[in-house]
Amino acid sequence: MRVTVNGTPHELNVAPHRSLLDMLREDLGLTGTKKGCDAGDCGACTVLLDGVPVNACLVLAVQAEGRAVLTIEGVATEDRLHPLQEAFVRYGAVQCGFCTPGMVMSAIALLNETPQPSRTEIQDALAGNLCRCTGYVQIIDAIEAVAKGTG
Amino acid sequence: MMRHIGRSVERADAWGKVTGQTKYAGDLQLPRQHHGRILFSAHPRARLVAIDTAPALAIPGVRKVITAGDLPGSNRYGYNSVLHRPVLVPPGEETRFVGDAIALVVAESEAIARRAAKAIFVNYDPLPAVSSPRQAMLPDAPRIHAAAEGNCCCRREFAHGDVAAGFRGAEVIVEQTYFTPRQEHAFLETEAGVAFVDDTGVLQILSCLQDPYGVAEDIHQALGIPKSRIRVKVTPVGGGFGGKLDTTLQVHLAAMAWLSGVPVRLVLDREDSLFFHAKRHPMEIRLRLGARRDGTIQAMEGEVIADAGPYSGRTFEVVGLTISALTGPYRINNVGVVGLGIYTNNLDSGAFRGFGAPQAAIARELLIEKLARALDVEPVELRRRNFLQPGDRPVSAMLGDSPNSLAELDARLQELLGPKPPASGPSKRVGRAISFDMPVFDVGAIPVLGKSGVGATVEIHSDGSVSTHAGGVELGQGVATVLAQITAEDLAIDVNQVRVELSDTWTCPRAGRTSASRLTYVLGNAVLLATGALRATLIARAAERLQARPDQLVLRDGAVQLAEEPDRAIAFAEIARTCSDRGDNLREEGWYRYPEDRYIYGHTFMAAAADVEVDLGTGDIRLLKLVNLLDMGKVINPTLAAGQQYGATVQGLGLGLMESMTTKDGRLQTPTLAEYLIPTALDLPEALILGSIETPYPTGPYGAKGIGEAALNCTTPTLLNAVADAVGAEICQVPLLQEHVLAAIMRHEDD
Repeated sequence: MRVTVNGTPHELNVAPHRSLLDMLREDLGLTGTKKGCDAGDCGACTVLLDGVPVNACLVLAVQAEGRAVLTIEGVATEDRLHPLQEAFVRYGAVQCGFCTPGMVMSAIALLNETPQPSRTEIQDALAGNLCRCTGYVQIIDAIEAVAKGTG
Repeated sequence: MMRHIGRSVERADAWGKVTGQTKYAGDLQLPRQHHGRILFSAHPRARLVAIDTAPALAIPGVRKVITAGDLPGSNRYGYNSVLHRPVLVPPGEETRFVGDAIALVVAESEAIARRAAKAIFVNYDPLPAVSSPRQAMLPDAPRIHAAAEGNCCCRREFAHGDVAAGFRGAEVIVEQTYFTPRQEHAFLETEAGVAFVDDTGVLQILSCLQDPYGVAEDIHQALGIPKSRIRVKVTPVGGGFGGKLDTTLQVHLAAMAWLSGVPVRLVLDREDSLFFHAKRHPMEIRLRLGARRDGTIQAMEGEVIADAGPYSGRTFEVVGLTISALTGPYRINNVGVVGLGIYTNNLDSGAFRGFGAPQAAIARELLIEKLARALDVEPVELRRRNFLQPGDRPVSAMLGDSPNSLAELDARLQELLGPKPPASGPSKRVGRAISFDMPVFDVGAIPVLGKSGVGATVEIHSDGSVSTHAGGVELGQGVATVLAQITAEDLAIDVNQVRVELSDTWTCPRAGRTSASRLTYVLGNAVLLATGALRATLIARAAERLQARPDQLVLRDGAVQLAEEPDRAIAFAEIARTCSDRGDNLREEGWYRYPEDRYIYGHTFMAAAADVEVDLGTGDIRLLKLVNLLDMGKVINPTLAAGQQYGATVQGLGLGLMESMTTKDGRLQTPTLAEYLIPTALDLPEALILGSIETPYPTGPYGAKGIGEAALNCTTPTLLNAVADAVGAEICQVPLLQEHVLAAIMRHEDD
């Protein structure tokens, strides 16, 4: 199959039942995308498929044929964090960090779609991403700050 | 003026975590790495008749299948030297819960390992499970451990004053029994690790865990591997909350690597994780309070029965803390409480943020609310009337020396809370509740294996940069950043000059376990002892070089200078470069030991308040406002401290309104995160307000206290009491679901 991941085209042989998550983590070594449940319950594996947030554990690798995948590794440039990543650092939105990649991806998708979300819209966008450390407040604060341009 | 303390220094590990570069155990990939799989018992209680591994071994790609007979060593481990948990259940013995391991598989891929584990044929003789403490205590109940009569894991008692006389003097007596649920940690990263035997014959374990020394001890006990050949290095931990405090999969992983001769990665599936690690103890708490008409509480009496699960080495401590925490921040001079830990074939119980104290807070604060209704007084007034007063020693087995700040917390809470809002409709009622507590944190009373005290090493390198090594674990709470701040503050250097290495049993001084909200306090103090020694050396050398008296010198910006003549200075780097020539060392170990009584604890005085709106027609609860207020002693890093406070508060909210990990006949009924629900971003209160006050704790680093667990404590009963206030009826169900609220409303209407 052919797939573009973080702007780089790849040609891979993958088994038809392999999940996009396992392809990213095991075949491409992109371990920034986390496996928290492998059942679509936790959101830790959120990536963008043609710009749309998906749980990579629920998508077959072959479903990404000819499409563009963005993972956490493709978010920052060489020398600069994405504004959302910077805000996550500054606002204390990161504790154990295991949900963080998925949270950042969901937040990117939200701001692409809705550049000026209300706090409720931010909460809605994060509803599929579990976090057990932060109580979510500082994550919401970080996203809101970026949206308002104060991040 | 402090440069680093009290400032929200960005966490040292944040860059790696936001970019996905941080390598957790499950992300590691070693050459020749194989994959492990644990075959768990199919039954909570069964006699294991026989195991046939041949079908698994026949699968191509399977390297090794291990059963009990293959293990070197005793095959037994367990916390607190209660060595009764088998690594693998041997044929002829009984399984004790669904998390007992039967066999281990090492294979070339995860898929092959999974298939091989399924192919192992196990012949069980199923036996009825002991599925509740009450059942376990019956005279004819089967014994889960031969030595445990009545399936009693432990009995703890606390008595003070004259309980009978106290109740005789009481004019109003209230009593209730509360059942608190089993709570699951639901850390986002399941148990994981990589292990290999290195070229010198040392078994290296890289894994997410909270007590590297306990893990090394368990591996040694169970597998007989010499301690000098066990190295435990903690990988970044994707959440712990107590659930990774007991050894989880590390002994199994060690056996896989030791016996297979290849590097092995073992990562638990979520469904295995959910039944495998120890949970918050479910408890039945019967509590009785007697008071005079004026509200003065005269006596407390009660009994706690905790479901210890099958092994639970922590139950002794957890139940001890529960009975100690029952009196809370109130002056109750006549107390008699008994706590029992009872073995069952349910899921194992162990440490979870708060460690038994949240259950106590639920029972106490709900019963005080009931007492207030019986006395017809404002609940907060009743609490104030019974506050411990400054100078009072708490009536508890957990003695402490923290300054009592209840009055200040009470006043600050009122400011944060504001007026009670009106209901939004005719069928809606708004309720409000306020609670207080004084959860403990460890100040050095918890023994550290093979050592007294808690250590940290600080070294100034020849370029003036600084390394701090300590045995604590970074769980996400930010301890590495806090220790960097303390190091930088005391040495008067830029915080970016400091790197902190944590939790490698070979390179870091012993720190014991990462639990009990203890690291900022114990490691902070250990760092200050090390930096204090370094300061003395720096000043002594600088005094010689600058021909000044030590008392004329100060540390500033990585140099020692004359206070009055800043131009006369010598950089740390220069001192460091010459130190080795003269046999000096700019590497110091600090060992912190609590100076007086080993059994003193710190107390984090706290308060919580909630405004809720209940729909009397549907029982739906709207969380209008939740306030959490802690006396932090001194806030080292406001952003990190707030993170602990938010996180613990929302876990307390989950415990109060959502979470219950139920079992039936020993089997888990909530086997996925779609069935065991934890709070999402949509479950937050409309306003979640944090506050902190700072009453310096005299022996704390810069006055700081432990705050990691505290905020959870009275969040849960505060929410429940606010609902009770709204509906005008007693609430004693935890977690409180909409159907329970509706039932309470209907009961109230019937009355």
